[in-house]
Amino acid sequence: MKVANKIFNFSTFLMAIVPAVALISIFYFVFNESLPLWRFSGFSFFTTYLWDPGFQYQPPILVHGVLAPPGAQFGLDLFLLGTISTSLLAIIIAFPISFLITINVELYLPSRIKKFMISMIELFAGIPSVVYGLWGIVVLEPILFKNVEPWMARHLSFIPGFGGEVYSGAGLVASGIILSFMIIPIITSVIVNSFDSVPKEVKEGLFSLGATRWEVGKYLTTRFSRSSMVGGTLLGLGRALGETMAVLMVSGAIVNTLPTSFYSATNTMAAAITSLLDSALTDSTRMDLAALAALAVVLMGISLGVSLVGRKIAGRGALRGYESD
Amino acid sequence: MKVIDSYLDGGKEIRWKSLGSRRIKDRVAFALSYVVLGIMVIVLLSIFIYVLDSGASHIALKMLITTGNTATGGVLNAIVGTWELVGMGLLFSLPPSILGALYVVNSRSNGTVSMVARLFTDILTSVPSIVIGFFAFIVLVQRLNMGYSLVAGGLALAIMMLPYLMRIIEISFRNIPKEQIENAYALGADDIRVASRIYLPQAKVGMLSGTLLAVSIAAGETAQLLYSAGWNNGFASGFLHSGVGYLTYVVWNGINYPTTYSHYLAYVSAMILILSVTGLIAVSKYIGRRK
Repeated sequence: MKVANKIFNFSTFLMAIVPAVALISIFYFVFNESLPLWRFSGFSFFTTYLWDPGFQYQPPILVHGVLAPPGAQFGLDLFLLGTISTSLLAIIIAFPISFLITINVELYLPSRIKKFMISMIELFAGIPSVVYGLWGIVVLEPILFKNVEPWMARHLSFIPGFGGEVYSGAGLVASGIILSFMIIPIITSVIVNSFDSVPKEVKEGLFSLGATRWEVGKYLTTRFSRSSMVGGTLLGLGRALGETMAVLMVSGAIVNTLPTSFYSATNTMAAAITSLLDSALTDSTRMDLAALAALAVVLMGISLGVSLVGRKIAGRGALRGYESD
Repeated sequence: MKVIDSYLDGGKEIRWKSLGSRRIKDRVAFALSYVVLGIMVIVLLSIFIYVLDSGASHIALKMLITTGNTATGGVLNAIVGTWELVGMGLLFSLPPSILGALYVVNSRSNGTVSMVARLFTDILTSVPSIVIGFFAFIVLVQRLNMGYSLVAGGLALAIMMLPYLMRIIEISFRNIPKEQIENAYALGADDIRVASRIYLPQAKVGMLSGTLLAVSIAAGETAQLLYSAGWNNGFASGFLHSGVGYLTYVVWNGINYPTTYSHYLAYVSAMILILSVTGLIAVSKYIGRRK
């Protein structure tokens, strides 16, 4: 029996380190795949926005000791800009909404339907991202294109970037809106959990001193939930940075064209990897693939960094209520 | 006039402004928060109603009983493939999650290893899905020569499900009263016995509800699968070297394909997806609540 127990304990140990092995091997193999790109492009990968796989039907040339199709050039600026701008827009939309939802369910909503309402909001996270993409293409884009964006272009043109022509509904605005739907439940649940963890006596004490509900909310926010709000927002940001399919479907997925206004089509790192991988496979030098691997490395670095900091600030288990029960 | 300058500094004397302006602020917050909540509920319902309505109005029996290529035929291959992939993902992720969680909660395990395991589990949840998909492509599909296949797709899903499952299972293990476990050890039970007689039976409900939640997430994933499971106009013919169809691919490809019928297939697939996913979430919540 002792031997059996030893074997059992060893197998639990092996399985406990599977996530670590998985993460390290993801990083190792993706980084390994990207190595030729770093030799080929060097720092210019970060300073140009052009993404050109080169002439694949001409014999490859040797650049800095690695083979690449002639004319190939890779830069991530356009995608990085798109990733950052869509995610920031998503946060700008999602944070106030999440905050007000929290205030509502914690202080104003009858407590009988509080749980139900939180479950409703959590459903936003359950909708598959392609379904968001579908809805974005068929419903949201026409509304933005016909009603919202022309109105904004007319009336807000005094703000730099808000003037200009509206080409289609696809782009930054549509991506930001859909991303905000995806992260509202994350931010909301982190803030709600932090409100819930405040000792009941604090709330009751404030009420008995004559505070209004908004004053209680303000007090709890500033005294107890500030770090959760920052952490939750960062967790949402981490999710938004890495989101792929919905953004791919509603961003316009452009390459080699910098956005000229708020309404321009855009592209993100995650969406670019997805949409460009198919054609990268035709590159016999694998340089195109290496470039996408480099994008993946940068994306993973940013997104893991943001999520880790968010988790650190919000505290482990911040998402407990949202992910388990 | 009384000022509330001190009530943020706790402990000091609390002096209120006159009730009038405070009540107005309260009313404004009340109204604003209800308006925002109302808008979000309307948005959520409109997404659901739109997807369900457009799916229901274009569904035909033929779509559900024939296979197809996202432009013609049906989506039977995608429906079957989705569950095959999710099942495969579960096969690869559930046993390691249970065993790994047992290690992490075992008080006699190495604390450093447990801590590192938990940390990496947390980090792994934040890896963007397309990065997992890219990894699956270059390593599983190309280096290990699995081709676009059920195993590659299942492993890609498993990488995503593993940290979710491990954490949910760990939490349901921790909900078990500590005394019960300590007593079992005191009576001379070994780790296998404690796991099989206490941890697993006691955490059954939590594990089931967490598994359903992980399945609902996996069923809606696309980015991992595009370059690991590939696609198949029919059914997968084996575990390796044979692509698999899945519903999310039909939604993505169908809506971008310029025929009316392909759009119909996308609507129907989206409807099936959203029904299955919310159904699974609802069941998971219901089971979890009874605990």
